[in-house]
Amino acid sequence: MLFALAWASLVRHRARTLLAVLGVAVSAAMLLDMVMLSSGMRVSFGALLLSQGFQLRLAPRGTLPFDTEATIRDGDSLVALLRARPEVVAVSPVFGGQLHLITPRGVVATSALGVIPAVEGDYEVSEGHQPAAPDEMVANDALLAATGLHLGDTVHAGAGYDSQLRAMTAERILRIVGRVRFVYMARGQRGAALPLATFRGMQGHDADGRISLAMVRLVPGSDVEAERVVIERLLPRVTVISIAEALRQVDERRSYFTQLAVILGAVSLVVGFLLVTTLVTVSVNERIGEIAVMRAIGVRRWRIVGQIVVEASAMMLVASPLGLALGLVTARYLNTILADFPGMPERIDFFLFQPGAAWSSLGMLAACGVLAGIYPSWRGASLPIAMTLRQEAVG
Amino acid sequence: MIAAAVCLVLAIAAPQDSTRRIAIDERLATDAGLHVGDRVMLAAEPGAVGEPAVIGAVVRRSADPAEIARGEYKIRLHLTQLQQLLGYGDRVDRFAVATTSDRVIGEAADRINAEAFGFRAHRSQDIAVQTSATFAVVSRFHRAIGIITIVASAIFLLCIMLLKVDERRRDVAALRLMGISGGTIVRGIVLEAAGIAVFGSILGVGVGIVTSWVVNLHYQGVYRTPLRFSIVTPDIMLGAVALSLVLGLGAGWLAAQRLVRTPPLALFGR
Amino acid sequence: MTALLEVRALVREYPMGEERVAALRGVTFDVEAGDYAAIVGPSGCGKSTLLNLLGVIDRPTSGTVAIGGERVDRLSDAAATDFRLRRIGFVFQRFYLLQALSARENVELPLAEAGMKGTARRERARALLDYVGLGARVSHRPSQLSGGEQQRVAIARALANTPRIVLADEPTGELDARTGAEMIALFERLNADGTTIVVVTHDEDLARAARRVIHMRDGAIIGDERAR
Repeated sequence: MLFALAWASLVRHRARTLLAVLGVAVSAAMLLDMVMLSSGMRVSFGALLLSQGFQLRLAPRGTLPFDTEATIRDGDSLVALLRARPEVVAVSPVFGGQLHLITPRGVVATSALGVIPAVEGDYEVSEGHQPAAPDEMVANDALLAATGLHLGDTVHAGAGYDSQLRAMTAERILRIVGRVRFVYMARGQRGAALPLATFRGMQGHDADGRISLAMVRLVPGSDVEAERVVIERLLPRVTVISIAEALRQVDERRSYFTQLAVILGAVSLVVGFLLVTTLVTVSVNERIGEIAVMRAIGVRRWRIVGQIVVEASAMMLVASPLGLALGLVTARYLNTILADFPGMPERIDFFLFQPGAAWSSLGMLAACGVLAGIYPSWRGASLPIAMTLRQEAVG
Repeated sequence: MIAAAVCLVLAIAAPQDSTRRIAIDERLATDAGLHVGDRVMLAAEPGAVGEPAVIGAVVRRSADPAEIARGEYKIRLHLTQLQQLLGYGDRVDRFAVATTSDRVIGEAADRINAEAFGFRAHRSQDIAVQTSATFAVVSRFHRAIGIITIVASAIFLLCIMLLKVDERRRDVAALRLMGISGGTIVRGIVLEAAGIAVFGSILGVGVGIVTSWVVNLHYQGVYRTPLRFSIVTPDIMLGAVALSLVLGLGAGWLAAQRLVRTPPLALFGR
Repeated sequence: MTALLEVRALVREYPMGEERVAALRGVTFDVEAGDYAAIVGPSGCGKSTLLNLLGVIDRPTSGTVAIGGERVDRLSDAAATDFRLRRIGFVFQRFYLLQALSARENVELPLAEAGMKGTARRERARALLDYVGLGARVSHRPSQLSGGEQQRVAIARALANTPRIVLADEPTGELDARTGAEMIALFERLNADGTTIVVVTHDEDLARAARRVIHMRDGAIIGDERAR
């Protein structure tokens, strides 16, 4: 009976119900997007850092990996020291810099990494193989597209390009043996990787033994934080960053988005709440006589509140999946905008759909809808029956 | 000027006249407790011996959007001093060229690039566009969020207007029965909607100005930058009022049309 | 016969600005089980106020009301609601049917509230509509029924939980003379079948049909006569 009354009330004012559902759906979409934004990048970045299985990263003291051009001297001895530790399974040293390639399309500059292919954790090979030999390199799609080169092609490469002499410095011929996808590079950023020794050799004596970063994989189940502290104490010239610390750094840098998400999320909730409250209040005011009659014939107060809450919940129920769909579409669009952030790894998602977060946000909105229905309906059901009936009769 | 990571170590000795002077940014001065006249050691590597320098100035960071999310410190040295510190010889990363007037910037850049000298000249404006890419993305993001907000507001406004007009069913029915034309009633309702929209948007502009002030205060503190994150310009204010007015008029008109098309007796519920 | 309804020194005052206006000034009377009483008097004499107090939808300023020996003037809201549901049937001048529900569903509403389920509830509602002569229009919405038919549905609804007393406030007030006469006949039949009825009315024909007529003026009873 209550459901019949609730349904009848909703269809009695179709345009109003439709608008309310739309309004709540937009609020739900916005709320969902903001929940996705508030945690998406963090979760996405955490997953990215863990994707290659390295729990610790060593960067020059006071810096974050590849945040500056600073490098670590005596990187080789540092790597040897780390490898000797029983908790360490693998150490992947990386030396970053620029590489210039002479191609039929001209000289193309690219970001390049010197790695030890057996333990590297910066890219995934999608075609071909690792650069095992000293004269081999791998490239990503952006670089291959910019140069017009293909797997198997050889190319003249240099660490620097003297534009006055129009000549490469430390030039050597490299063969492209793999197409790869760099984990941490930005979308569209050109990238290449070659054996660490080869790349260092091309950089000159200054690069001897240097590394930009070392990634450390620990024995499964080891205490990452304890090992981080031990390594940092052992190597005072480096900063040892655990994933938790990296996430903390990310949190600091993305605090703007977190706060924006919290504010806009709260605004969405308030708007949804206000919309339903307004609608329910007006609906109750319109039916105040009906409610008084129901009370007069013995219908309990909570039953009347229940009926109106059912109406509010029904609107929420219809609006939620609509909002979910709308939220996912807008999140995708907003993600494409934020993906253009300079230097942002391609795989980072600002808006990451997490079912738990989505349900909790829709749950919050639903709770708001129910709460929004309770007060006006309780007020309506608590009016003096006799007086309300008399006023309705006069009105 | 060349840019590089330089280590700075606090030293306790008093400054000497021969020691070169450097400028540090406010953030570093605050965090490290440094003041003008303090003596520090500069080194290109952590743990290296380095060379002494005296803080000659504490400078305020420029309002550069490209730097807001970066937590690093900045110091300014004499060119030769940094080249020497890093062992860069006389290499530089870039240099700036001043032209006699803005009109010749393009021509000057073209001439430099045509000299086959190996350098590439860029207009400062183009570089500014590149370096502010972060903010451009944030701007686009804000615009998209703004559009979603406007859609939500439009629905909200339409809903409220519909409810408000619905509340007046009996009044409108009485007016119709008295012989007042539908057009007059629609005009009355639309005028009322316009009034509400204008009043609401003026109130909204007030809230916006206060919010903008709070946002700037907060984020300037968070990112320690003089950059203004939110600016409410007269154009924005006018735009907001105009948009609200259009939405209000539209919503009022739609709601009024529904009402006047319903027969008066039906409005009375008979 | 025993008194089903006992009203003693009933006073109802309403605040009006700084002053208090008395709508009822110490009304006392009894109604016996199976009786049919009409309360008559000019507008504003306190008839409807009295009916509201008897129907437990309002509280007296002072005095007592007992129905079936149970004091009802100081019941809590929940207890009053339950009392109205199970012991009192209300018939209003403007019918007050729920427009969204059919005739049968309107009658089912108090039955559902009293906990009667499914088929039994539907059958009871149908039987009541048959009783008031609307067996053929059970699925019609109030808007599809005439005023007289709507009032019949309202009476069937009032009888749903077999109340001890039916209270009617100007039940013929919105009806034409012919339909009003039908309604008077229906009330007579109800009373003949054992239902106690108290009706407030201006309708002389309806008042004449009652066994007892109570005259009111200025919030007090000024006459009480047995019609037959």
